[in-house]
This record gives sequence, structure tokens and C-alpha cells, in this order.
Amino acid sequence: MATIEASGLCKRYGARNALDGLTFTADAGEVIGLLGPNGAGKTTAIRLLTTILEPTGGTFTVAGFPGDQPHQIRQRIGVLPESAGYPARQSGAEYLRYAARLFGQSRRDAQAAAERLLADVGLSERAGARISTYSRGMKQRLGIARALVNEPAVVFLDEPTLGLDPAGQSEILATIADVARRRGATVVLSTHTLTEVERVCDSLLILDRGKLRAAGPIAEIVGGAGSLSTAFLHLTGQDSHD
Amino acid sequence: MTSWNVVATQESRDLWIGGRGPVLIFGYSILLSAITYLAATNRAMNFLEQREAVNLMVQVALAVGVLLTVAISADTISGERERGTLEALLLTPAPRRAIVIGKLAAAATIWLACLIVAIPYLWVLGRGVSGAGQAAVLTLVVGTLVAVGLGGLGMIFSAWSNSNRTSLASGLLLLLVLFAPTQLPALPKTGFGQLLTRINPIGSALHYISQVLVARRSWTQDLDYLISPLVIAVAAVGALLIAAPRLVRLTAGTR
Repeated sequence: MATIEASGLCKRYGARNALDGLTFTADAGEVIGLLGPNGAGKTTAIRLLTTILEPTGGTFTVAGFPGDQPHQIRQRIGVLPESAGYPARQSGAEYLRYAARLFGQSRRDAQAAAERLLADVGLSERAGARISTYSRGMKQRLGIARALVNEPAVVFLDEPTLGLDPAGQSEILATIADVARRRGATVVLSTHTLTEVERVCDSLLILDRGKLRAAGPIAEIVGGAGSLSTAFLHLTGQDSHD
Repeated sequence: MTSWNVVATQESRDLWIGGRGPVLIFGYSILLSAITYLAATNRAMNFLEQREAVNLMVQVALAVGVLLTVAISADTISGERERGTLEALLLTPAPRRAIVIGKLAAAATIWLACLIVAIPYLWVLGRGVSGAGQAAVLTLVVGTLVAVGLGGLGMIFSAWSNSNRTSLASGLLLLLVLFAPTQLPALPKTGFGQLLTRINPIGSALHYISQVLVARRSWTQDLDYLISPLVIAVAAVGALLIAAPRLVRLTAGTR
């Protein structure tokens, strides 16, 4: 069953097309990669689907709710925004409890959810420490925990491994795979990194300058190109720069 | 617990536990201590009548309390934009109206703290003339109207701006414009001068308070001076409630 359906989704800023006619579907339990160079429209696509921005054209449904019901959509999604900020003075546990309370959970449920999620992302021992003392990797894991606080049907992760060392990246990717496998959630993973896509994604959307260049299973997109890297460079026109 | 209450509780915790609240209130209490000392000294030398000393303290408490409320509320949305924490808040199902009301309620706690801190000073200056209790209640009623109204305007500036500095500067400029005429020594008591006093929520609030505390008029005699503080409070909160979905956005001015 499709948990995301986008049809002709557009976003214009004046004369500039940030996103131009994005059409795709994603199923429950699927990890779908959103790949593209800087300025391709990945973050815009995520902000439209998460109801942070209003589209200038097209329609979409997320978790069974149409785009004109943002309140219902937000109840059913979890998001790790690009370059997410964290309140430096709150502890990790307090941050998650607050998020859970905003999703309507009782104090007791919010406390239980915070403890469970901190354990899931390996932050139990630092639960009471201020977020300002966390490393970048710990903050990213906390952000993923926050995205799961409402047991979402669809999870959007915007460049979750940005700035992490290889060990940190590996941990985050394992968490992402686990979210899709164990929770049955659809995961939309926006990234620059092709190896990440090959490691955890089932299918792929390649965007370039706001336009969808390719969509489908990775093997299909690679086709006769030999590797995802070659296919990506060809589809985004970057192979002609050499 | 409703969403606005959850937001207000967390914002208040952020302000008071490890935040700027205690430092600001500490500075404020030092200011009140200095003024109380000077007023009490002057009173001993018959420079300042006791009721005038209480009135002076109320005016300082109101002016500084409103200043701090505006400074806190001007940070509420633009500050979160700058720190990158607004998007996570907008991604929750909490209604935009609940977010603005929760944030305004949390900002108003600094005004209430200013009032509570001022009470002992009012008691010291008002001993013997039974003016301290009346002054405290008067400050609570009139000051809350002004603090909510101007705090609400500070929040609107915050929603309109992507920069914390811009919203703070706009809020402080507004306060300066409203406060400066109250310090003019020879503002005419009729015609244009009185109009200026009446349309200025700070000027009319301070005038009303001095009429009750110093001129010993009853609370109901000059109630029309409370029209502009009441209008600014209702208008600011109303505008926030009505326009919240358009004001509380990831970036000011874009959809």
C-alpha cells in the first residue's frame, strides 16, 4: 500500500522553479533515497511533503491523508530536518519528552517514550546531560529518536549523516534500516552520498535543478551504466563537465 | 493538557531553568534596590512625599517589567529561526495558535516575576500610608495589560523577522517611542498633550496609576485612561490568534 503519493508537485519562488513536477509513490516498509546535487530540490521536496511549505502546484498524500490536511499528516510523520538545531540547555530526555507531549502523549507516556527511544539510539547514559555537551553524531541520533517519538508511518531524514565520521555514518544507517524493517515505516532518505543509498535504499529518486531525472529500484536506474555513480553523473549532466 | 499549555510550560522552563530569566531578574532587583534607597533617602529629607515614592517605584517596575517582556517575546520566533529549532516545532501537530499563545504566556512570566520582586520594595516605601497593597494590585492589573499588549507586538515583530537583532531592535524602538513622551516635563494637560497621553498605552497607564496613588482618586474616576492599554492588549492578542498560521512559518514572508 502506498504511504506517499506525489503527483506533479511544484514549488516556485518567483521565477525560479525549486521543484518542478515531482511524481512518485512509496510503499510501507520501503527505504527510498532522494539523491541529487546541491540545489536539486531535495529539501524543498521534503518540506512540501511534511507540510512545512505549501506547493504552488500538484497534489500529494502522505500516510493516507491529502496535502490539504497538514494537521493529520504531521500526526503520522517523523522528520529529521536538514541542519536541525537543538535547544542547548535542554537534556536529551527533556527534549524527547517535550516532543512527545506536543504529539498529545500524557506525561507518563512521554517519559516512557523518551527512555525507550534514547535506549534505541544508544543515548541512555547521556539522557540527563545537556544537548550542548553532545557530539554531532549524538545530536543526529537524538534527532532520529525525536523523529520516531510518535511512531510515525513515514519518516523523512534530510541528510542525516552530514558531517559524521565513518563510524557515525554507519551507526545512523543501521538505525535507518532498523526503522524500516522493525517498525514497517516508509523512510525517505535525502543524501549526497551514493554509498549510503546503495547500502540502505530499496529505490531511488534522482533530482537535478528541481526536475525528477530518474525514479525506480536502484538496479533499474544503474542499468547498463555499470555503477550508480556513473548513472548519477550521467543523469545529472555532470559527466559532460570533464 | 492542551498544546498551548505544553508549549508555555516548556518555554517557561527554558527561560527560568538555566535561561536568561534569573539573570534579568537579578539585574532588575539591583535597580529597584538602588531606587528604593534613593527614594527613602530623599523622603527623609522631605524631597519626595511617601506616596510619590511608591508611585515612582510602580512606574519603574512597570517600565522595566514591560521592557523585559518585550525583549523576551521579540526572541520567541526569530530566535528559534536563527537557532534552527523552529522547524522541529512546526513539524508537530501543535496548532500555530497554540504555539504563539504558549510562547506569549511564557514571556509574560517575566512580567509576573518583576511584579513579585517589586512587592517588598513597595511595602518598604509605602509603610504607614497603606499604599503598598493598592499599588501592587494596581501594578498587576494595569501592568499586565501593557505587558501583554506590547509583548504581543514584540512577538509579531519576531514573526515578521528572520533576524533576532531586527525584532529586538524593533521592539525596543517601539518602547522608546512610547516611553519618551512620558518623560517630557511640560506636556500640556489639555488638547494635543492629553491626546498624546491617552493614545499612548504606557503614558496613559502611568498617568492612571499616578492619579490613583498620588492624587488619591478612586479607581473608577479615570478609567478612560485604561482604554489604550486595553485596546493594545486585545488587538495584539487578537492579531496573534487570527494571523498565527501566517505568522509562524519557517521563514518570515514565504509560503
